[in-house]
Amino acid sequence: MNNFGEYNWSLTTFWVGLVTIGLISIYSATQGPVAQFLPAYIQVNFYKQLISFGLALLLLIGLQYVSPRTFREGSYIFYLLGIVLMVLTLLIGREVNGAKSWLVLGPFNLQSSELMKIATVLAVSNYLTSQRNISAENLKTALTTVLIILVPTILVFLQNDSGTAIIFLALIPVVLFWSGLPYGISLFIISPAIIGYLSIISWYWGLAAAVLLTLLVFILQRRTWLTFTSFATGILLVIGVQVALFQVLQPHQRARIEAFTNPSFDPQGAGWNIIQAKTAIGSGGLYGKGYLEGTQTQLRFLPEQWTDFIFCVIGEEFGFVGAGLVVMMLIGFTIMLLRAAANHKHPFAQLVIVSVATIYFTHFFINIGSATALIPVIGVPLPFISYGGSALITNTLMLGICLNLDFHKRQFSIYR
Amino acid sequence: MSRHKKKRTQISIRIFQLIIILLGLVILGRLFQLQILNYETYEPLSRQNALRQQNVNPARGLIYDRNGRLLVDNKPIYSITITPSAYDREKTPLLAQLLGIAEEEVEKRVEEARAYSWYRTSRLFTEIDFKTFSIIQENIWQLPGIGHQIESKRHYPVDSLKASHTLGYLREVSKEEYLQQQNYHLGDKIGKTGLEKQYEAQLKGQYGTEYILVNAMGQNLGSYQDGAIDEAPVKGANLNTTLDTDLQLLAEDLMEGKRGGLVALNPKTGGVLSMVSAPQYDIRRLSGRIDFDYWQKINQDPDNPLFSRALSSKQPPGSTFKPLMGLMGLELDIINPQTSIYNPGYYSRGRRYNDLADPGQYNLEKALQESSNTFFFWLMDKIVHSYSIDRWNELASTFGLGSNTGIDLPNETSGILPDSTYLNNLLGEGTWGIGDQISLGVGQGFLAASPLQMATVVSQIANGGYALQPHLVHSIKESDGTVLFPENDTTKISWIDRRELEIVKAGMRRVVTTGSGRYYANLDSVKVAGKTGTAQNPHGEDHGWFVCFAPMDDPQIAIAVLIENGGYGSISAAPIASLLVEQYVTGKINRTRVYDYVKDFEPESQNDDNE
Repeated sequence: MNNFGEYNWSLTTFWVGLVTIGLISIYSATQGPVAQFLPAYIQVNFYKQLISFGLALLLLIGLQYVSPRTFREGSYIFYLLGIVLMVLTLLIGREVNGAKSWLVLGPFNLQSSELMKIATVLAVSNYLTSQRNISAENLKTALTTVLIILVPTILVFLQNDSGTAIIFLALIPVVLFWSGLPYGISLFIISPAIIGYLSIISWYWGLAAAVLLTLLVFILQRRTWLTFTSFATGILLVIGVQVALFQVLQPHQRARIEAFTNPSFDPQGAGWNIIQAKTAIGSGGLYGKGYLEGTQTQLRFLPEQWTDFIFCVIGEEFGFVGAGLVVMMLIGFTIMLLRAAANHKHPFAQLVIVSVATIYFTHFFINIGSATALIPVIGVPLPFISYGGSALITNTLMLGICLNLDFHKRQFSIYR
Repeated sequence: MSRHKKKRTQISIRIFQLIIILLGLVILGRLFQLQILNYETYEPLSRQNALRQQNVNPARGLIYDRNGRLLVDNKPIYSITITPSAYDREKTPLLAQLLGIAEEEVEKRVEEARAYSWYRTSRLFTEIDFKTFSIIQENIWQLPGIGHQIESKRHYPVDSLKASHTLGYLREVSKEEYLQQQNYHLGDKIGKTGLEKQYEAQLKGQYGTEYILVNAMGQNLGSYQDGAIDEAPVKGANLNTTLDTDLQLLAEDLMEGKRGGLVALNPKTGGVLSMVSAPQYDIRRLSGRIDFDYWQKINQDPDNPLFSRALSSKQPPGSTFKPLMGLMGLELDIINPQTSIYNPGYYSRGRRYNDLADPGQYNLEKALQESSNTFFFWLMDKIVHSYSIDRWNELASTFGLGSNTGIDLPNETSGILPDSTYLNNLLGEGTWGIGDQISLGVGQGFLAASPLQMATVVSQIANGGYALQPHLVHSIKESDGTVLFPENDTTKISWIDRRELEIVKAGMRRVVTTGSGRYYANLDSVKVAGKTGTAQNPHGEDHGWFVCFAPMDDPQIAIAVLIENGGYGSISAAPIASLLVEQYVTGKINRTRVYDYVKDFEPESQNDDNE
């Protein structure tokens, strides 16, 4: 702690900037003219977030004094503790908005899945980087990695929080790829997501993607079995999505998908959120309607405008200029994290930072993608910006660990 | 770290950065698409979301009498509106419960509103009581697409005043009407009869537009930009009529319990001082929400109260036509004031035409005074013989018979003033003769006129032969203060000679002083001139007529009264007219005996023929 020049001030500055933007937006979404339509316990969200910001700041500072070894050495313990908390949540948790993801611990409400993210990242990173043969081509290593991630994924899924489950799943290809999984196989792993997404829009897009991705896999890997498997998986996925859409899915789930592909199909029901969100952002125009003057926001047309749809508030009141700036800040923040990883010498730290960046960016993309109707609505908050003390503190915790590893990167050589 | 590993790490970082930048660009592109390219789509959407455009109904114009007394104004009524596109039909039970109306009824009205327009707001229920209105207002947040509105209905401040046929009533526009005219919305009211119909365009005014801020729950949050872009409604124009309320009240009182029509005109201007059709109906019960029972009752009443007898009744004018006959005889030089013929008690021309007047020598004045038929049969015979029925028609038509008077009320009748074409069409060419024409000389036969037409005729005799335009509206005051005066000029009837007119007037004066009018129409206070008449009624008791004007020297009022099945005009119609003259000229009624007589008078109830 003697050389503050080593500390990553720019990432910290971005963090302060994002949280401040969040506070400004939450103020508008809960304390603006809209407050008259909101219950008191939601109006106070701004002040709660302000307190959380203070706590997060203390946490960030405190974390810099922790030995970087702690994170690696404690990783499996953290992971196990996390799993226990998750199971506890599942048993005695409190249900909020249909998701049973809150654990009430005295005065604190804890979202155990938030903590589980960093615990999983640390455990996976520790596991992968302590293997003699890091290459994930080693099937046993790869499967263990997947298992470490799948266990919390399933628990989150059981908590009925599919958004967070998707975040966990996104980690799998990234950590495997980072650990040396060949490009072709990596592409094969993420190809279902791409094919699935396009299949929802229409089956021929899905089919085209399946063919194209198989071709790419073949070019990169030139292995007959992999190419064949890739193609078969792709076709099965296209068919599977069609079957799921029309046979398997519950009506309300199907409504959500249909609402994405055609919001005007049911403008008062499932399509409502999408139409209102698009209308809010679109009506913002170039410069926005002005702070506290967004009609969609202030007249309560937006759902969950302090959490999942907070980006609509920014888009409506600050326009393309404001929303674009926020998007570029989020991209810049992620890129800076990745650069910190690239500059680090130790694989454990690299993998932790890359994973954290992945988690952030998946949040960013899913949240903004939902708000702008690029993807079907998946309820995840926008890190640092959305209201939510538990999320802000755990997201800051992840950032704090990354900053700690980055700050202490010279110490790693010794301990390695 | 091996070199290979290091290289792989660098490439991986590049790939990740590339993916992130690509996905970031996708988001930025999407934002550009939504906020810049599709701004024109979403900006109005957000405005429509938050703004509700509402029609503001204009206040309908008021109606005043000639002294500026308010006859018709507006009173607030409370309505519930619906915008079908925003309405949730699952809420119908709740709505029905709050309104206290059967669910089926609510459903039926919702259905009608949907059929009218999916997006436009229409009235679901009107004239609900204030308490129910408040309940709906409080629960409006539970009822998307439901709104409330305060409107008005017609109100009649002069308590006992009916004037039903003159003022007229309003009705909700029919489906056809609102489809035809862009100006009307479902539930709007439109004048159906009387002045309300005639002056609909002036009385209605223009809709205003109001922009109201609403939230996602449909709650009204007040006006948008403090009403900066609202358009105020334009109030309807006020009508200043020529009606004399006191006279009208008396006329209505006197006509009560009778069937018939009465018109009192200002003979100098043609302004209608009073107009009554009896029986009347109660416009108060037709204002606002439809009272179906009452509506059915007046529609099925055999006395047909909806029929405006003053304007639309077609009856032979009988002897009230004789003054005009006299004028025509003088004009055509068939007679002069001294021309005297002998009346043996009948007129003989092919057959005997009866005369109830005593036998003796008759000149024009005496013939008028005694209402001698023989004199006028003879005169008609002469006219037809020396000229033709068409010449007779030509002269009589200048007094307004056989054509619409052009009064500013709907549904007036033109009556019948026969000419050769008419008789040809009716009876066949060459098949009609003197017998079909002689009775016209005493106002019988094919001749038919309304009380309004006879009032016009007597007014024109009273005013020295000036053709006038009967009218009710003296001036129209628009909401911006502009006052319009409809053209109601009088023009001299060219063939009328002042001295000849004086002879006829003198004859009419003698009717009242010594003739059939002397019992009830002769006033000490006012010099009245008039003429009684009896319209032959093949279906029952004859109809009684009386026309008069007063004062004799400077006529201020001219009246025609028709009492159906009243028998002689001298006992049925004349007392009514004379009481009106007394009231109008002296301001009070001294002859309580006559008043009581009129109130007790009961015409024959038998009545097969209204028209």
